[in-house]
Amino acid sequence: MAVSSPFGSQTRTRLLIAFELLGQSYARELARLLDAPLSVVQKGLASLERDGLIAGRLLGRTRLFEINPRYFAAKELRGLLDRLAAADKDLKRRAAELRRRPRRTGKRL
Amino acid sequence: MKITARSSLKKVAAVVSHALSGAGIRAVLTGGACATIYSGGAYQSEDLDLILQSSPTQKELDRVMAGIGFVRRQDSYHHPDTRFFVEFPRGPLSIGSDLSVKPAEMPIGGVSVLLLSPTDSCRDRLAAYYHWKDRQSLKAAVAVATRHHIDLDRTRSWSAREGATQGFDEFIEEVRKARARRRR
Repeated sequence: MAVSSPFGSQTRTRLLIAFELLGQSYARELARLLDAPLSVVQKGLASLERDGLIAGRLLGRTRLFEINPRYFAAKELRGLLDRLAAADKDLKRRAAELRRRPRRTGKRL
Repeated sequence: MKITARSSLKKVAAVVSHALSGAGIRAVLTGGACATIYSGGAYQSEDLDLILQSSPTQKELDRVMAGIGFVRRQDSYHHPDTRFFVEFPRGPLSIGSDLSVKPAEMPIGGVSVLLLSPTDSCRDRLAAYYHWKDRQSLKAAVAVATRHHIDLDRTRSWSAREGATQGFDEFIEEVRKARARRRR
């Protein structure tokens, strides 16, 4: 079931929901999660960053994004995203399938 | 006033503000540029973030900025003679969740520049420290607080609302140490 898109497009809305579910993330992980082309995700991230809704920083060569905690309505935004996440069961299921916990260096996959 | 390679950030801010206000565009200087101005150079920023308080079209903004030699590349404006560049982040003017931000006015070279007050500039840098543990921002906030009067009661209660009571205590301790160093 497609959720509504109060943030302008399905991609922008689902990216924000993904941040609510994952905390921090990066373009490739988000593209995998949303099953969307990397370029579409990168474009969505750029527009959300321009709007001040998310903030990114470099960690090595990876640009990590998160909901901008300095956004003036960050608390209210998180509240709405929490509700939208509850409605997007598909995205919640996909997020639950991502392995994000630490893995000791050298340990076999 | 003309921008040259030797123009300071303050002067560039004045030239940009003058051009914008001349075109009826109201904009407030925020972010690291204010900390640079209030810290007397102890903190150095190269970007001038201006929050628009009127709604010019992109074309109008490009035209006004081009009039003083700035050319837009994606979202930022660059000038061939200075390393300082200008951006117009989306508003509103806020410090974290606080929307009651009243801009200050600073006369620079006969131009009245709208910018964050020292207290708001300090809070702006502290927000970066509280949310991202960016110690460079803590240092900038301390540099502003050691040179200007800061409304500490307001900063304390805002910090509590941002969930950063401990961060505020650390800031106060750093300010105390910095003031002691300056007295020596």
